[in-house]
Amino acid sequence: MPDEKKLLRNQKDTNDDMINLVDNLNREDDLKYNRRSFLKTAVGATVALGLATVPFSIKAMMDKGQEDPLRLKIGELADLPKGEALNFNYPTDSEPAILVHTKDGKLKAYNNKCTHLQCPVFYESQQDVLLCPCHQGFFSVDNGHPVAGPPQRELPLIEVEVVDGAIYAIGRKIRHDA
Amino acid sequence: MMPKKLWWVIIFASLAINVVMLQWTVEAYYGLEYEHVFTYTVVALVSVAVAFFAYLGWRKAEYGK
Repeated sequence: MPDEKKLLRNQKDTNDDMINLVDNLNREDDLKYNRRSFLKTAVGATVALGLATVPFSIKAMMDKGQEDPLRLKIGELADLPKGEALNFNYPTDSEPAILVHTKDGKLKAYNNKCTHLQCPVFYESQQDVLLCPCHQGFFSVDNGHPVAGPPQRELPLIEVEVVDGAIYAIGRKIRHDA
Repeated sequence: MMPKKLWWVIIFASLAINVVMLQWTVEAYYGLEYEHVFTYTVVALVSVAVAFFAYLGWRKAEYGK
């Protein structure tokens, strides 16, 4: 197009007021990062997050059939006086647990990895609580729920039963109510 | 035709739902609460479908004409 037919602002070396208004914009960025792209990214993120839940369901489906609770003898009731605790492993050898014979005669068992940073939890008989000494986390001995300190989740509960003076672990609940 | 803003709202609501569903799914999985895992996955997939159809609706409104 000949120069004289162009608008003044489009002519070469013009001093028109309406020139150079967009020089500070990076056009490529403008094309890439705009409102439409933002919404498309949001849709993509929604799809990605939704699909990310699927492997957990598949794995859960595969694991579901293998949930036979293990029955394991922990010890003799006569060897565990009130106010004492006993360590054992349940349901596997790599999962430490603690059995507490409380002062009021109840048997309570929990996996004793602290739910904060996995330190071992001990029974503190004087205060009748479960104590994690690493960061002063306290759990109720009655229900395994945290009562003070950094832990936010309960200790996994191990169900126990006494048969002929012997204490057995018969199942486990990772989540349980207070 | 629905206003474009409504499509935006639907898509971002779906995004928020899926953020929560993924968090709950992981927690339920590690808590061995498998029934909850399935429920949250179904909700997340429904939310994905809603977001996708909302996207199609928005695209029609945005690029139509």
